[in-house]
Amino acid sequence: MTFLGLRWEGTRAFGATEMRVQLHEGLAIATSMIVQVVLLVFVLVLDRSILPYALVGAVVYSVFMLGQRLQNEAAYIRIDHKLTDLYFASPLSAEAYFLGMSAGVLVAYLPPILVLAAVLVVVVHLSLLAVGTLLFVGVAVWFFTCSFGYIISTQFKDNRAIWPYASLITNFFGVLPPVFYPLALLPGYWHPLALLLPTSAAVILIEAAQGGLVAVSGSGLALAAVALSAEAVVAFALAIVWARRSARER
Amino acid sequence: MANRSARPPASTPNRGSVLPAFGLIGWRWVSRNPASAVAPILLPFVFLYFLRLIAPPEYFPLEIVGAMLFTTQNIGSWVLGDSASWRIETRMQDVFVASPLTKSRYLIGIALSNLIPAAPALLVLGALLAYVVAVPLLGWAVLVGAILVLWILFSAIGVAVSSRVKSQREIWPVGNLTFTVLGMLSPLYYPLTILPPAWQVVARFLPTTYAALLVQGTLHLPGAVPSDPWLDGALLLLLAAVGTAVALRMYRWREGD
Repeated sequence: MTFLGLRWEGTRAFGATEMRVQLHEGLAIATSMIVQVVLLVFVLVLDRSILPYALVGAVVYSVFMLGQRLQNEAAYIRIDHKLTDLYFASPLSAEAYFLGMSAGVLVAYLPPILVLAAVLVVVVHLSLLAVGTLLFVGVAVWFFTCSFGYIISTQFKDNRAIWPYASLITNFFGVLPPVFYPLALLPGYWHPLALLLPTSAAVILIEAAQGGLVAVSGSGLALAAVALSAEAVVAFALAIVWARRSARER
Repeated sequence: MANRSARPPASTPNRGSVLPAFGLIGWRWVSRNPASAVAPILLPFVFLYFLRLIAPPEYFPLEIVGAMLFTTQNIGSWVLGDSASWRIETRMQDVFVASPLTKSRYLIGIALSNLIPAAPALLVLGALLAYVVAVPLLGWAVLVGAILVLWILFSAIGVAVSSRVKSQREIWPVGNLTFTVLGMLSPLYYPLTILPPAWQVVARFLPTTYAALLVQGTLHLPGAVPSDPWLDGALLLLLAAVGTAVALRMYRWREGD
């Protein structure tokens, strides 16, 4: 079965397997919201006026974290379980392995994200346009983060090394840029970078769609939209190439 | 976990240099994986950066102290990770139990090996604290004392929890849940008085709260709650001693424990 020049044999079966594996990790699913909750607590305790920004950021950050889950899972399967050789020796294609794992992780970790999104819609009274934007940028961030996480996962040689690098990546993309706080709090010379980073670009696009939350010019919003879309497409293409290359090496 | 029959015979040497050995493990881990040292340095700074943006500026010294105590508490999470990995993945615990090492010495050793990656973060945060506020000698002594007490306590909690973890996959979520929640419930990054009343009551049962109150009060930091430092110190020691004893009792060192 080929589509767009890619082979998809085994995607559904592997996706279902991964979903079952992930659903067995109830504690991991329950604790997937800890950082978001911590930062929301900081905001609630110290400055409630930025709660709408923090809630939008919490949803986008949660989607971004799916890539970190994928990164951990892919590294565990390869290093700890040593199952990759078996998978790649089977009819399962390299791209189906990557996409199946991404889909399995998404299904398992979606419920807490949906709860957070529901809280966002209710508390911020999100408009229809903002909800639509949230769905669009959510898909783009998911494609980017899963692709990025998968590529990074292939670089680990030791399970113990995963956590420090995962921590650096999530903080670089999720906490430093204006994801949980308004863009206005960031010095102006950093704004172009914020518009280019996938997480903050996604948040700014949702805030702009809601209206009144962020003051960014039309060209700035166009830059954020183009950057996020391009990052998602390029990262996905790279991950497919990377997955095939990894499979060949084995 | 090793079998009781794995006790060393009486003729086996029962003296050794445990601390340097564990210290070497900690140093080798950092030297081979520099990111493992960068991450703990970066994490408290990331929180500080976020808080600097959203919190009143006068709370900044209090937040630096909070970051130091939070970093110390997180050592427990790394102890949990190491201890569980050594038991589950490399089966090293059988070797430790079969050696003359006792579980208390094992605790101190693994705590030391995990203090090494955290030390740069603590030193940088200490320098930042000295830069933003004048810290008297007594203040440094109290801060170092509080850090040492929390270091032992949370390392003990880490090894205790590690012995109950069944797979590698559980390590991260269990550690994250245990240590982040404990850290957030205590008033490390904000004054106790701005928390809701019910939260303040819960926080009063946690040793980290008394470590924070003791240091904040001794350094007269803005936002510090007026309290008796002797009482805070005594409660910190009492809760830490009880917590460490309970954790060591919970810890399954060998089969049958």
